[in-house]
Amino acid sequence: MSAARKDKSNREDYLRMYRQMVRIRAFEDNANQLYLSAKMPGLTHMYSGQEAVAVGICEALTPDDKITSTHRGHGHCVAKGAEFKEMFCELLGKEEGYCRGKGGSMHIADQANGNLGANAIVGGSMGIATGAALSAKRLGKTDVTVCFFGDGATAQGLLYEVMNMAALWNLPVIYACENNGYSEYTRTDEIAAGSITARAEAFGIESHQVDGQDVLAVNKLATDLVARARKGEGPFFVELMTYRYHGHHVGDINRDYYRPKDEEADWKKNRDPITNFGKWLEAQKIVTADELVGINNEVKAEAEAAVAYAEKAPYPSVKEVDMHVFASNAA
Amino acid sequence: MPHDVIMPALGMAQDTGKIVSWLKKAGDPVKAGEAIMEVETDKATMEVEAQADGFLSGISANAGDDVPVGQVVATISETAGETETGTSKTATETASAKREEQTPEVSGDDLPDGKSVIMPALGMAQDTGLIVTWRKAPGDAVSAGDVLLEVETDKSVMEVEAGHDGFVAAILAEAQEAVPVGSVIAIISANAPEKPVMRGMASASVPEPEATPQPAQNREAETESPTGAAKADRTRPGKQSMPAQKGGWILASPKARRLAHEQGLDLSRLVEEGHEQPFHVADLDTLRALPPALPAGQPPASLPLHLAARVPASGCDDFVRWFSQDTGDDLDPARLWLSFAAAALRQSVTGITESLIVGLERPDAERSSHRDPDLSLPEPESADAGMSPDLTLRDFSDSMLTDMRLGPSDQPVLTIVRDEDRFTVSLDFQPGDLGETEAIGILTGFAERLREPLHHIL
Amino acid sequence: MRKITLSKAVNEAIAEEMRRDPAVFVIGEDVAEAGTPFKVLSGLVEEFGTDRIIDTPIAEPGFMGIAVGAAMTGSRPIVDLMFGDFLYLVMDQLCNQAAKTHYMSGGKLSVPLVLRTNLGATRRSAAQHSQSLHALVAHIPGLKVAMPSSAYEAKGLMKTAIRDNNPVVIFEDKLMYNDKAPVPEEEYLIPFGEAAILREGRDISLIATSSMVQVALAAAEQLTREGISAEVIDPRTIVPLDEETILSSVRKTSRAIVIDEGHQSYGVTAEIASRISEKAFYHLDAPVQRMGAMDVPVPFSPALEDITVPTPETVADRARLAVRGDLFHAA
Repeated sequence: MSAARKDKSNREDYLRMYRQMVRIRAFEDNANQLYLSAKMPGLTHMYSGQEAVAVGICEALTPDDKITSTHRGHGHCVAKGAEFKEMFCELLGKEEGYCRGKGGSMHIADQANGNLGANAIVGGSMGIATGAALSAKRLGKTDVTVCFFGDGATAQGLLYEVMNMAALWNLPVIYACENNGYSEYTRTDEIAAGSITARAEAFGIESHQVDGQDVLAVNKLATDLVARARKGEGPFFVELMTYRYHGHHVGDINRDYYRPKDEEADWKKNRDPITNFGKWLEAQKIVTADELVGINNEVKAEAEAAVAYAEKAPYPSVKEVDMHVFASNAA
Repeated sequence: MPHDVIMPALGMAQDTGKIVSWLKKAGDPVKAGEAIMEVETDKATMEVEAQADGFLSGISANAGDDVPVGQVVATISETAGETETGTSKTATETASAKREEQTPEVSGDDLPDGKSVIMPALGMAQDTGLIVTWRKAPGDAVSAGDVLLEVETDKSVMEVEAGHDGFVAAILAEAQEAVPVGSVIAIISANAPEKPVMRGMASASVPEPEATPQPAQNREAETESPTGAAKADRTRPGKQSMPAQKGGWILASPKARRLAHEQGLDLSRLVEEGHEQPFHVADLDTLRALPPALPAGQPPASLPLHLAARVPASGCDDFVRWFSQDTGDDLDPARLWLSFAAAALRQSVTGITESLIVGLERPDAERSSHRDPDLSLPEPESADAGMSPDLTLRDFSDSMLTDMRLGPSDQPVLTIVRDEDRFTVSLDFQPGDLGETEAIGILTGFAERLREPLHHIL
Repeated sequence: MRKITLSKAVNEAIAEEMRRDPAVFVIGEDVAEAGTPFKVLSGLVEEFGTDRIIDTPIAEPGFMGIAVGAAMTGSRPIVDLMFGDFLYLVMDQLCNQAAKTHYMSGGKLSVPLVLRTNLGATRRSAAQHSQSLHALVAHIPGLKVAMPSSAYEAKGLMKTAIRDNNPVVIFEDKLMYNDKAPVPEEEYLIPFGEAAILREGRDISLIATSSMVQVALAAAEQLTREGISAEVIDPRTIVPLDEETILSSVRKTSRAIVIDEGHQSYGVTAEIASRISEKAFYHLDAPVQRMGAMDVPVPFSPALEDITVPTPETVADRARLAVRGDLFHAA
């Protein structure tokens, strides 16, 4: 990484970004174990490999800024400030989960930190993100909304409807397309014709492509775009080139038919966002190798403790099954 | 802290995985991410990676073993010294031991010891399976792969294997019985049974398999119904049939049925009386007006009998009109009817010679008696009012009443009412006064005359 | 009391609520200067400006999604869906997103929005502009469904809908926009889940929604001349449904016909009829009857279209059979 990217010169900021990426990886490793050992109900999608995207962007946001997330959403949730305990509880369907066990892996919402929720419909949250931006603009708030979605979701028509309106109305929204190269079990170049950024440019939306494995590059761009969106210069579109280490979901093990193993090995060995950022931090003498190991161990212990806590935590009472179908109208 | 190596859930719907081979030996150092074994599932073979750095130890499943998902197959220990190869049971042993734990051992005073065969859940949403036939008889030797019985479910018939080697020690459900899934239907014993058992499920209570461990959220419900009995009762097929209804199922509205029940009214009486179904609430008024019902099983000794007929009014009306035009005199139809009543009586009842008295009752008029009115049309001869009539004619054709059924009378009563363009004539009588054939003859004779007066008079 | 059209009543309701609460805005196609094709919103843009009466491109899923996001972040949007038939276009945003957000988030997020649209055939608009699709949304837990049957109901229900903290779909009968009814000058709200007994009767209950309320009242008038006394009930909202008023009416009359302009099969008539059969069975002296639109796409030709919906004559015929106990033979 070049010294030019050292804009974020505050050591605490660097360390927080590193820690947040490690936290995401640790969360996913534990979630993966919970699934594989049949302790976790349902299905889950791993964010491992894409940590620099969520952390680089969310570190540019305030807690009041909003995000909308995807089925591969644990990373966004952690990066936006969520706690492990409530997240693991949610994954295991426990009462203390962020959604009292009603949402699960694919629907974690953490409105206190501005996370409007993960979405199990591919492309389902693009309208929501755009609407949140409209709301902020109309109500005179300065909140910016980031809409996370994958390359696969660019095939959904909703994206084009809402980008059109966001551009017409100059909404403070950033469309963050995480291009991890695969649309479920299919290579992206088989499902996306032409250029992805050109799609947004057609609406006159300023578009960027960035290395999604470089947390500093992502953060620098995001910081700039967020500030401009706050001033009313939005919307923006960013394509973040990244890679998903696991299959589409945790059970998608046998995936040679769409993705070669040496490709995976290459990304993990040479382009891992955590390893590379750690090396850079060491090279810049910002931290020592031991300090990084210390962070890794702390996070690991935190994650394991949260898993143990969640495993013992109670399920919601069956009385809750028809609670929250409708919101109360009590004043 | 040692890390467990578990059989992972790799496929979308996978219960077990087969270990194809171990890529590391016990004691080998491993690194997180390094492949340590190959597992076959969903017809594909995959490598399973170590989740931690350390030394492989405690391998408890061999290549070729099918291992349930979630089961520990090895440990990754932090030091090489912790390895404890060979001390664990093989997975096959632990797995089968586990399976045995889950398989209920059926025992009891009257049942032989052995392995249970349960009614399997074969369909997607199946509560019971119908035993089509047993392929083995009590006492037969069986191998695990032998077909023990055929079960029908979801409209297909499947063969169920014995699952254990041994002898059929007991068959606990008969062919054609529908058996709840999970119920023990046979016992396979290791040795030839002395007294093999053969009986039906309905004839004996059979121990239910132990409840499988429930997820925590169900615990509450579980404690409320302490045994599996409640569930079994719910799914056990019953042969309860609808209590037989007198005269079959009666069509009636739910409200009519409920009110009849609450008020002690018997809808079957409306059926006996020939009223048209379905019955609605309005029919209950008719039902209330019926004379008291016969006590069940009693001969109709002293209770009045009732016959009714419907006749178009046009014949009679035409005759009356024709008579008036022809003679210039108005004809009171009742005179005509007195005549018909007497003629019908005379014709049908043996032993009546000459003098025959018919009483006439009408609303708002005094009762009158007439001697041989059939022989003295149109002006019937009056009879002494003190004389007991052979038959009373009640003429209510001018009234609003459309049906009458009054209490017992000393003599047969012929009632005539009119509903627009038709007459309803009915005959009420005591069984001692008239035979049934005679009564039918009287009413039929009267009705025929009423329908075609001219024909009978000329 | 003054009489105003249904159209004016809706307009007044929205204007009053927009004056009361700055979070309320209108979004949809041609809602501003055009005031919608039915001119229901005419004049609102003059008072509230294009910032609060927002014209969108022709992109129903897009503006529906935007409204969901706005509702989750402090706004109270009123989405204008030009024809009820376009519901199919917004189903994901309405049913997967808006309806489920409160539940999936364990009560943390809510979606206070109103989707106003319409229903009703016999406007010679053929199969794609004549449907009555309220049963589709009434089937989805988390959505409330209001069905005004006159100007009075239209105003009171709209105001309640705007203040509700849940997604509410409100269906106006497009044939009734110019029908006048007494509407008080002073403010009033009509609570959800309270049916109106429009006419008391003894022999049969006619439960009718929206466009079918006038049909039921006309049928009741015909029946009166024959000595049959019909009670007419308008549920006003089908979610929530005022079951008790319907059941107590049927317990009194022992007979019921449910009349609704949605297709008869699997529809609102079926739902209400089965609730009556389940809960008032032992009070029934005749089988409960459903009268919905025929199960055919709405035909264009007037000769065909007019026979697809219940009329006062067909309702009165059915009521006669029920009261006389002749349904068994007619069936």
